[in-house]
Amino acid sequence: MIVRRMYSVPERITMFSAGAAAIAAVYPAIMAHTGGQGIPCPLRTLTGVPCPFCGLTTAAAALTHGQWTVAASTSPLACLVTVMAIGTAPVLAARILGLAPSPRPASDRTRRLVTRSAYVIVALNWLFQLHRYGFT
Amino acid sequence: MAYSGTPSYSAVPSSQYSSWIMRVGAYLVDTVPIWAALIVVYIIEAIIGSTIVDILLGLILFVAILGYTVYNRWILGGQGQTIGKKMLGIKLVSEETGQPIGSMNAFIRDICHIVDSIICYIGFLFPLWDAKRQTIADKIMKTVVTPA
Repeated sequence: MIVRRMYSVPERITMFSAGAAAIAAVYPAIMAHTGGQGIPCPLRTLTGVPCPFCGLTTAAAALTHGQWTVAASTSPLACLVTVMAIGTAPVLAARILGLAPSPRPASDRTRRLVTRSAYVIVALNWLFQLHRYGFT
Repeated sequence: MAYSGTPSYSAVPSSQYSSWIMRVGAYLVDTVPIWAALIVVYIIEAIIGSTIVDILLGLILFVAILGYTVYNRWILGGQGQTIGKKMLGIKLVSEETGQPIGSMNAFIRDICHIVDSIICYIGFLFPLWDAKRQTIADKIMKTVVTPA
């Protein structure tokens, strides 16, 4: 299946990441002011087992403050997405400014490869989170 | 050659799915009355400072939010457009028929959002990369959000 979009998936993830970074930059201050404990993971709250995406908020806040080692030790996935977003940003900027044409649809083979790679990366990050929380 | 759709038996052309940001915008608009009610109740409670009034206001607030949810999310949503979706010019329809899904299916779809939430709410981000811009609940219920 080939779907044409105005922005590619990496570009949309980059746009989302920019918004998330803006919130993550002020998130620690908001939590300190309100005394909140952050956004709990429902799976971890109910079962005690972390999900593959646990630590993203903490890592995002660390990244916005330049704390790459803290971010990497909390969620390598967040660092990977950040690197991807930084690499995609120039293309996105060109697209927004009308300097680049609409992206070409990826082939089915490419989509399958990227999807499977994403599953592998998420699975590895989940193992990392399980280890971080003492399950392995 | 540019290819703007996909050969499929879906009633909705694949190039017609609403973006993630439009869906988020519609949801935020839908929550405005709830936040307004919460703020009003908070102010009244702060002024009066009575436990009985707090309990009463809490009950009234609960009933009001429940009634608003039933009306907006399940009755209007079942007809295709909540207040927020109407303002943003998008609608919720069946992927197969292109028609609104009805109140019961809208209710079940909201229950299915538990699946979107359970893994760090990541299901709500699926429209960023999914070909049909669907959340997991949308995939379960075979619904899509399209421009109205």
